[in-house]
Amino acid sequence: MGIFIEDYNVSGADTVALEDSIMQKGKQVTAGSKILDNFVSPFNATVVDRLLDGGFKISGRTVMDEFGLLKLSHDDNNTPSGAVRAVSEGISAYALCNDLFGRYREEAPQYDCCYIHPTYGTVSRYGLIPLASSLDQIGIVCRDLSQGFGLLSHLAGKDPKDGAMFPDSKYCYGKTDEKITLGIPRSVIEKADADTRESIMDFINKFSSTDIDLEYFDLYSQVMYILSSAEISNNLSRYDGIKFGYRASGYTDIDDLYTKTRSEGFGLDAKLTAIMGAVVLSKDHYGPYYEKAMKIRRLIKESINFDTYDVIVLPCKISDDPYENLALYSLAPLAGLPSVSFSYKGYGIQLVAGVKKENLLLSTWEVSMA
Amino acid sequence: MKYETIMGLEVHVELATKSKLFCACSTEFGSDVNENVCPVCAGMPGTSPMVNRKAIELAITAGLLTNSEISPRITFDKKNYFYPDLPAGYQLTQLFAPICKNGWVEIETDAGKKKINLVQIHLEEDAGKLIHDDWMDTTLIDFNRASVPLIEIVTRPDFRSAEEVVAFLEKLRSLLSFADVSDCKMQEGSMRCDINLSVREKGSDKLGTRTEIKNMNSLKAIAAAISYESQRHIDALETGEEVLVQETRRWDDSIGATFSMRGKEDATDYRYCPDPDIMPVFIDDEWIDAVRSNLPETAQDKFIRLTQKLGLPEYDSEIITRSKNLSNIFDETLQYYNNPKEVANWIIVELLSIAKGDNKGEDDVRIDCQKFAKLIELVDGRTINRNVGKKILSLILEEGIDPVEYVEKNKLGMINDTSLISSTIQEVLSENPKALEEYKAGSKKVHGFFVGQIMRKLGGKANPQIINKLLTEALKEI
Ligand SMILES: [Zn+2]
Repeated sequence: MGIFIEDYNVSGADTVALEDSIMQKGKQVTAGSKILDNFVSPFNATVVDRLLDGGFKISGRTVMDEFGLLKLSHDDNNTPSGAVRAVSEGISAYALCNDLFGRYREEAPQYDCCYIHPTYGTVSRYGLIPLASSLDQIGIVCRDLSQGFGLLSHLAGKDPKDGAMFPDSKYCYGKTDEKITLGIPRSVIEKADADTRESIMDFINKFSSTDIDLEYFDLYSQVMYILSSAEISNNLSRYDGIKFGYRASGYTDIDDLYTKTRSEGFGLDAKLTAIMGAVVLSKDHYGPYYEKAMKIRRLIKESINFDTYDVIVLPCKISDDPYENLALYSLAPLAGLPSVSFSYKGYGIQLVAGVKKENLLLSTWEVSMA
Repeated sequence: MKYETIMGLEVHVELATKSKLFCACSTEFGSDVNENVCPVCAGMPGTSPMVNRKAIELAITAGLLTNSEISPRITFDKKNYFYPDLPAGYQLTQLFAPICKNGWVEIETDAGKKKINLVQIHLEEDAGKLIHDDWMDTTLIDFNRASVPLIEIVTRPDFRSAEEVVAFLEKLRSLLSFADVSDCKMQEGSMRCDINLSVREKGSDKLGTRTEIKNMNSLKAIAAAISYESQRHIDALETGEEVLVQETRRWDDSIGATFSMRGKEDATDYRYCPDPDIMPVFIDDEWIDAVRSNLPETAQDKFIRLTQKLGLPEYDSEIITRSKNLSNIFDETLQYYNNPKEVANWIIVELLSIAKGDNKGEDDVRIDCQKFAKLIELVDGRTINRNVGKKILSLILEEGIDPVEYVEKNKLGMINDTSLISSTIQEVLSENPKALEEYKAGSKKVHGFFVGQIMRKLGGKANPQIINKLLTEALKEI
């Protein structure tokens, strides 16, 4: 697989690659799915306008998994995603993407890149082809977190076209002098392999820290999977072959048109997710699945209160099973928290801070790199 | 009667906002096909609905007028189903936290007054419209109506007769149209209603099988459909020939019967869930009070003002306050010519009869009230007589003429000159000796004949009162 669907052949320190889920006026935007085969975006995503206003150049549109879905179907293809490759191979200084299930957050450190997942509601999602609206968040692949946050300061801030944002019109990201205490969920870190654990312990020793218990950690993946499936299945409904995108040929009536279009247009993961979402929202399952998952999501949010610690430290990998690993990447989207992931002495580390506390993440990273 | 019919209604009312419920597109009726469509209401990915505060205000108004509790916090939910007129594959509506709850509306029928209880009023978006093109044998979609704001008013099963249903809908129309919540035009679809109906033996506390008649948009059809459907249920209960099933039915006005809309409708699971892109909207007391203090006069208030303050007869007041449009014409005309009795009279007698001749209802009459007022003043001040006035009224409606200029230009001013009228009377009497004989023989009809002849000689412009007076005197002398 290549890096770009479309390569604009520009280079330099101010280049930004866009994942194929971010709308660019007049460009074909498919979010990696055949269902959007001939879809040409009628408008620019807000982040695209802000990039251009900030003097950045768009280097190309990167290939992606269909809609950025969780790939439960195992494949042997171990090449990294287009966004991470574009940055790690030095083709683009940055890449923007929507990382719901952790693919970019896991890959970036492996290829010596960093990933910034900003606080939910600080970066406009207008023009981002949605996956799960309450969890979606445009993030940044970069080589260096201080540069990455420099780019973020151009993108973040209220956009009247996105209904779920904080009112702040601008955010400044910089180092803080606050003394940082790390929260260490030992039971989670113990799941990582020995080398990763050793690297994490070395990292922790540079700070004061306290042991914490991530309550409900065993339920993170389930809650994430149920809620995202429900929202994704909603968001995939608009792809019906009627107004835009792919339409199957040779249909006999409207139901046949829907069935053929969606059978041919969606890949296996999209179909599985759409069906799973429909199940958890159906009359008999709404209560025991969707509603219960919503309740636990609230409990998870409340359980992370940053009272005796400022930043949570997590590994970037605890298993070869994507579903088990998902737990590591669920906390930030479920609770709307900012996170960063980067490589420390060759192993991936993920940090999570409180709402709009990106500065603590940046400072922690800088101290560790010193 | 052995049976009673039990009904509840779901009434959809289109809100009179300028823009749609979740985007800035216009809601104007009669625009070009797909003229009022943007990426948001076309269901494009990457867009986010932004709630129209005016729509919320109109829904609060509807709540206040129906004695409802207004919810302090409202949310919007997705109702999922596939249909080509639904761009996003789901309709945004309110299931979990509707804007109004537990209201009631008082209605009056021949049987007396009665309270109809409301379960709730919720906001939702309308869908687009499918247009079948027979020439191309294809179906096209117009998304102009997609995402236009509606409220759905859901009643308890409190209705026992078609009269009550009609009285309720008329009351609702009056309340909502006078407050500019909606124009409530059933024929244009801005007010439509679903009827849930079941029949049981009187005195029984068990409910019968319930059917739903969808999308009714005329009061006449509603009364007919209720009568038909009740009888169908009674026949089924009596003869047992047809087994009633819970289903959705469609009323066919040309055949005069309901038909089953078989299939998926009843089996659909709408998989409701909250829309995470729309933040909850908080409605505090301050907002509610602001809406309350801006509530316009209701039809009932206006009726009291017309009868008690302006001294109009109840009959006239009733006609004028039946329609928001007529009330507006009345109030505005009154501003230019303050004679309530004459203005009411001209609206009810002349304006409505012309409208009727043009097949227009009382809600569709349009007139320049300033010109209308001038005309009434011309007649009232005896500058022109009433017959000339009627002709000028038609010309105002058709050509928009200015009555004062027109009267001057065409020399239509009334003749009040008694000597001219007297000499004309003498001429007419001498030219019609036969008629005069008949009069002497006791025929009173001839009086009218003479008036007509005199009026004709004077070009229709003479003051009829003066003719009457002088003619009576002249005839006495003979
Ligand atoms: Zn629109």
